[in-house]
Amino acid sequence: MRAGPDRRESLADVVADIRDGTRLALCGFAITRNAVAFAHELVRARRHRLSLTQVIGGMETDLLVAAGAVDDLSYGGGSLDRFGPLHAVNRAAMAGTLRLVEYSALALTLRLHAGALGLPFIATRSLLGSDLAQALIAGGHARLAEDPFDGTPCLVLPPLRTDVAVVHVDVADTAGNAVIAGPTWSIPETVRAADTVIVLAEEVVDVGAIDPSHVHIPAALVHAVVAAPRGAYPTAVFGRYDYDGAHLRRYAQAAADAAGTAAYLDEWVFGTGTFDAFLSKAAA
Amino acid sequence: MTARPAWTRGEMLAVAGSLQVRDGDVAIVGLGLPQVAALLARYTHAPSTRLLLEIGVFEPDPTEPAMGIADPRMWQGGSSFGSMLEILGVMLHGRRVTLGMLGALQVDQWGSINTTEVVAEDGSRRRFNGSGGGNDIASHAARTVVIMSHQPRKFARVLPFVTSPGRMVRGRPRDQFGLTGGGTCAIVTDRAVIAIGPQGAVLDSVHPGEDPDAVVADTPIPLLRGAPAETPAPTAEQLDLIRSRLDPHGWYTR
Repeated sequence: MRAGPDRRESLADVVADIRDGTRLALCGFAITRNAVAFAHELVRARRHRLSLTQVIGGMETDLLVAAGAVDDLSYGGGSLDRFGPLHAVNRAAMAGTLRLVEYSALALTLRLHAGALGLPFIATRSLLGSDLAQALIAGGHARLAEDPFDGTPCLVLPPLRTDVAVVHVDVADTAGNAVIAGPTWSIPETVRAADTVIVLAEEVVDVGAIDPSHVHIPAALVHAVVAAPRGAYPTAVFGRYDYDGAHLRRYAQAAADAAGTAAYLDEWVFGTGTFDAFLSKAAA
Repeated sequence: MTARPAWTRGEMLAVAGSLQVRDGDVAIVGLGLPQVAALLARYTHAPSTRLLLEIGVFEPDPTEPAMGIADPRMWQGGSSFGSMLEILGVMLHGRRVTLGMLGALQVDQWGSINTTEVVAEDGSRRRFNGSGGGNDIASHAARTVVIMSHQPRKFARVLPFVTSPGRMVRGRPRDQFGLTGGGTCAIVTDRAVIAIGPQGAVLDSVHPGEDPDAVVADTPIPLLRGAPAETPAPTAEQLDLIRSRLDPHGWYTR
């Protein structure tokens, strides 16, 4: 039997290690596989000035922005699919309390890929001619360049690394080898570009129980494993549980204005105290 | 009085959108009506269309309607689950995608798309969902088709924000910026099909029951009227597929 370091930690322990100002990357996508248990704990810990990176924003993003935890957000857009937009993100961006740096989904994924590999920069033909490119260039996040081989125009992007990435997976062993069912969007690039990776798992198993052919995130990249059954609720985890449309709709309606957002956080995040209590209340 | 049409505007939009799909297309679709239109094409005149979802799904064959790209219902039947870097990178940036189908908040006469923010008449700005893979798709797909409802405020000569470039941007052809894809070739609405060609926007066809002059009046961009054809009316087979399989709850088409 192979052994491995036991990287299991509690949610409270991993959140205690997240400092104000941390460059944090999240891996959820709209209404699927959001690290909601982690986001709740971070909101209750009242962290501030986070610098957030997420290829497609979702409920976890909106919750953290709603709680005032985020100073800037680099993203490729986001929504709650047909349940609504990311109201808190949009409102904070309009109010100027959130600095938004917007990419296309591929362009931000490429920045993370370059960061993961330690590349000096990465070139793309996405974004050319768009106002997204204009804003990124003005902000120092991209530059127009000529392809050094054929002279054609391209956009070059600097590598992006983050301090901590948090990902919600299906199964992880105690060392951190992790399995994701279904599509993986930009999860691989996001975790590879982080100095510290926290895995939240529906199921935690012994080392050796996962077929190495099935591992999406190798333990070599992982620093903590947290058991978080139903931790993505009310977003979906493919093959395990559906999104809760009624709860997502409730959140989207509440988040449409500042007072409703604060009331939602009071009732469902601060008022519940633990994620287990949140799940019980939501199931009632 | 003409008889009430036997289909909704949304059903007509899905059908007209589906007709833009050519059999054999490798297509990436955005959330909402583009999903319905692309699947409808595959179940009717374009059975060998290969669909891709930016979230990392190859060839989905969903049996239930989905609330968006991130709804796992949409991934059912997929032949392979991979990553965004495979779909938007290898397939799209790698120039293997022939058709992109996208929704839009606003479009201009060259098929450039705004999904980022709109400016109200009082000057206030309102933010929307941003690009997602939309910019990437409009940048690299050989053809891009925009699918949206026909409201005057959704057409603008000058967009407040160009999220995704069409055939021309800021008065210059798109290839001068280094873009590889062909750009927007059509804007399909619930009233008409507007082709985007070298001369700009042309009223290609109006849907059954629509008056071309009324459509032009409600399309506040430079638009060549010409002699538009009538878009083929939905067939019983198309309507049955939409109502029984693709959108039985009417989320997109009613």
